[in-house]
Amino acid sequence: MMQSQIVSRPRYRELAAEDTAGVHLLIVEGDTLAPGQMAALAAAFAPVAARLQTWLVSAPATALAPGKVCKLQTVEEAAAAIEAMPEGFGIADRLYLQGTEPFMWSLATVAGRAGLSPSQIRMQHAGSLKRRVWCTHCHQTTENVTTNIVTCTGCGRELLVRDHFSRRLGAFMGVMVDAEAPGEVPKREEVFP
Amino acid sequence: MSLVFKPEETFRGDYTYRNSDAAILRFPFPFPEDRYMYSVNIEPHVRSGPTDAFCRPFDIDEHYIAECRDRALTLEQDPGRCQVLSHMMTAQWDTLELLMENMAADYPEQFSLTKDGDVFGSRWTWINRPLGIEQSFIFGDPDTLPCEPFEYITRQAQGDFAICDQREDNLYLDAGMITSQADWSLEFNVGMNFMEWHGPVPLAHQAGVFERALKYLLMLRLGQPVRRLNWTMSINPRLDTSPESYPEWGPDRASVTVENAGGKVHLRVELQTLWRLPRSNAILFPIRCFLISVEELARVPKWGKRLHRVLSSLPPELVEYKGLTRYLPATLAWLAPLDDGAELATGIGPDITELAPI
Repeated sequence: MMQSQIVSRPRYRELAAEDTAGVHLLIVEGDTLAPGQMAALAAAFAPVAARLQTWLVSAPATALAPGKVCKLQTVEEAAAAIEAMPEGFGIADRLYLQGTEPFMWSLATVAGRAGLSPSQIRMQHAGSLKRRVWCTHCHQTTENVTTNIVTCTGCGRELLVRDHFSRRLGAFMGVMVDAEAPGEVPKREEVFP
Repeated sequence: MSLVFKPEETFRGDYTYRNSDAAILRFPFPFPEDRYMYSVNIEPHVRSGPTDAFCRPFDIDEHYIAECRDRALTLEQDPGRCQVLSHMMTAQWDTLELLMENMAADYPEQFSLTKDGDVFGSRWTWINRPLGIEQSFIFGDPDTLPCEPFEYITRQAQGDFAICDQREDNLYLDAGMITSQADWSLEFNVGMNFMEWHGPVPLAHQAGVFERALKYLLMLRLGQPVRRLNWTMSINPRLDTSPESYPEWGPDRASVTVENAGGKVHLRVELQTLWRLPRSNAILFPIRCFLISVEELARVPKWGKRLHRVLSSLPPELVEYKGLTRYLPATLAWLAPLDDGAELATGIGPDITELAPI
């Protein structure tokens, strides 16, 4: 279910440090970390450890990370920290993100506003497949959606979650599922666990 | 075709929109053959074509005043239907210039543009007689217009307009005036690249259609616009079939019967043109929407028969994607008696010059 034929959906791959870059900033959603994942990241980033900053967001206190480590509580805190970076980003810098889709795109959007181009951002999906869903009718977003049909937290309509994805909104499109035949709502199923 | 406007027409509520005989005959019918499939059907946008609708760079017809009013109503309810990302100001002026110059040249009785003033003639005066507008402004200075230049001129034109910024060998949908779309959201799509915004279209990606189209468009040259037709169907002559308003128009799809299909079901054709803009190097993408009821269309015998054949042989993915599922059977039943199975000439022209009286 994660992949359909719709091609606006981003594809993610394993993170690898790019030797030639300037500053490397790795931001990890800590509570998505599976056993061994941090060790894998440490190995991947070992060649650039001297120029690496790792921000661990919502991670257990015992998590060990490579580079100069900074611990943050929430994704909002991480977003604010990106916006407040005194030097901003340079064209040789790289941002690496690992976590759920809403987490990564919240930060990618902020980084874009801070001057980072999409080609300077790398992403690796980890943890839940949950989605952020944008309602085409009331334009509100509903967070942590794991089902094919969801009740919009803005307007209360039953939305079908389409695979169409907006990087600017960091969200999938939700369209009223029973607009043509009010009340005919298909069975809700857990498809993005 | 002489321009006699029908200012009282509506595209919502009581839906009084109708096509005159002349408007039917000039319709850009989209099916040259009895079957339909995607193709990169792009051709030069020259001043000629199978019907009169193709013959001018920016077509204006009898529905002009009513369409501009419908756009204003939609924008009043949802100003987000017009969006321009901040780096697109030069492209906004490019668009205003292109539209004003062509409209004034092709419809001199309706529009005029004069340029004077010291700074290279940058003081412009625009007169739009059908809408009763006279506006003097300084070209390049947005503060001299009542709103930003892209919104200003596209409020006075038929059809939707998008502007695509070209960078990284791709096109980005970075501006739009979209009030008569076939079910896609500007708010959702703004900022997307070419492949992303075509993401939901079935079959075509696998056929490589978008890759070829993008390659072609990146080479588009100044002064050599191109065009293509796209189509879908709508219930009632409704311009605003946005996803935003789907709860309003969605139920209409369930209201079609064999008896009312002729009047209710409309073929919705987009004459899409593409223009390289001179200063910004962006691409202007006007999407001129033409609506015709199946009943009106069938007054051209070739078109009625062909529509029946095309609709009855559509791949199921397209029936679903274009939202036809609920009312296609009734529409086919309405059209079937008109189709005697006779062989039809290829091409999209009506092959008649006058309609039989009703």
